[in-house]
Amino acid sequence: MSTKSIGQEFTKGLWDENPVFRQLLGLCPTLAVTNAVINGLAMGMATSFVLIFSSLVVSSIKKFIPSQVRIASYVVIIATFVTVADRFLAAFFPPISKSLGPYVPLIVVNCIILGRQEAFSSKNTVGRSLIDALGMSSGFVLAMLLLSAIREILGMGTFLGYQVMGPWFEPWIIMLLPPGAFITLGILLALALQIERKAKSWK
Amino acid sequence: MKLSTQMVVVLTSVGLLSGSFLATVGHLTKERIALNKQRETEKAIIQVVPGIVSSQKLYEERDLSVYGGKDAEGNIVGFAIQASGIGFQDKITLMLGTNTSLKKINRLAILDQKETPGLGAKIANSEFFLLYWENRDSSGTITLHKPAVSSPEELLPTEVNTITGATISSEAVLNIVNTSLEQVRKIIKEGKLTGEAQDVN
Repeated sequence: MSTKSIGQEFTKGLWDENPVFRQLLGLCPTLAVTNAVINGLAMGMATSFVLIFSSLVVSSIKKFIPSQVRIASYVVIIATFVTVADRFLAAFFPPISKSLGPYVPLIVVNCIILGRQEAFSSKNTVGRSLIDALGMSSGFVLAMLLLSAIREILGMGTFLGYQVMGPWFEPWIIMLLPPGAFITLGILLALALQIERKAKSWK
Repeated sequence: MKLSTQMVVVLTSVGLLSGSFLATVGHLTKERIALNKQRETEKAIIQVVPGIVSSQKLYEERDLSVYGGKDAEGNIVGFAIQASGIGFQDKITLMLGTNTSLKKINRLAILDQKETPGLGAKIANSEFFLLYWENRDSSGTITLHKPAVSSPEELLPTEVNTITGATISSEAVLNIVNTSLEQVRKIIKEGKLTGEAQDVN
């Protein structure tokens, strides 16, 4: 059982245990779909939806699940919500569904979600699991936004499709390609570590 | 309860519950998803065959559909050919608008593509690519103009522009267009196209 205060339970997902920058989980979608802010945002929201609802379900039925079949049960629960998210996007936001392509169904294998079920929801109350999932989701959405904003601005000179760079700006195509994702993520991770270190030395 | 029984019971009920939940969700969204797809096709047909008010499917096979675009009097004034083929990354699906003799391309639209963002994905962009496909002469084979030019006036009527840095994607689109035109000509020759617009003008 977690002994943190409710506030800490939420904020740990934003920084101390940020899924992308601190735990390095869920890097596949983080690298793959952050080439435009709208894609990053949509992926962040879809992942949050799956994470929040899976955490709610897992924490409420945890008592009935024998530990031998817990992973199988979690995966079925997660896959259910992923399919719901996928159908929902296809029905109501077809352009986003199209641009995310196979990455929506792939949320099933996002380690953040299974990781939170295993590490948190299966041991904590429904309320705490909800707060934890909300915090982790916000941390993930923030990371996706940051990464996709950097990549879209440098790669296309636009933000959410609006031109933000002047005509003098020559887009860095590499930022839209896989290497750009790795470079940006690497620099951001280094920055996160540096900030963490500075913060510790002040304490 | 014995552990093994409990495992079976839990897994079965989790599976059953999520299965029935998904069936409901699938049922609720099915119509809307089909409608989205249909709307998208209709929009593309009207976009590539100018001046039409309705359309009718004339032919369908794997990776190739032909729609007839009708004017207000119900005469077919042009074809919209929906075709798919292999791009640089994945399948490209496009909609090609031609006149009834297939000798002139009105416009091209890309329905689906997963080309490299910023490079090959420009095939769906009007300014970089699709603009250069307007009013092409398709009585023979269309060719690619390399290197890229910056205005449609610099091209021959039978040429289309290349995207700098994405020659393979540009070629892929061209191949799909040339192949599908060939196929449609054959279909018309064999008289498999339903509808009365087979008189060549």
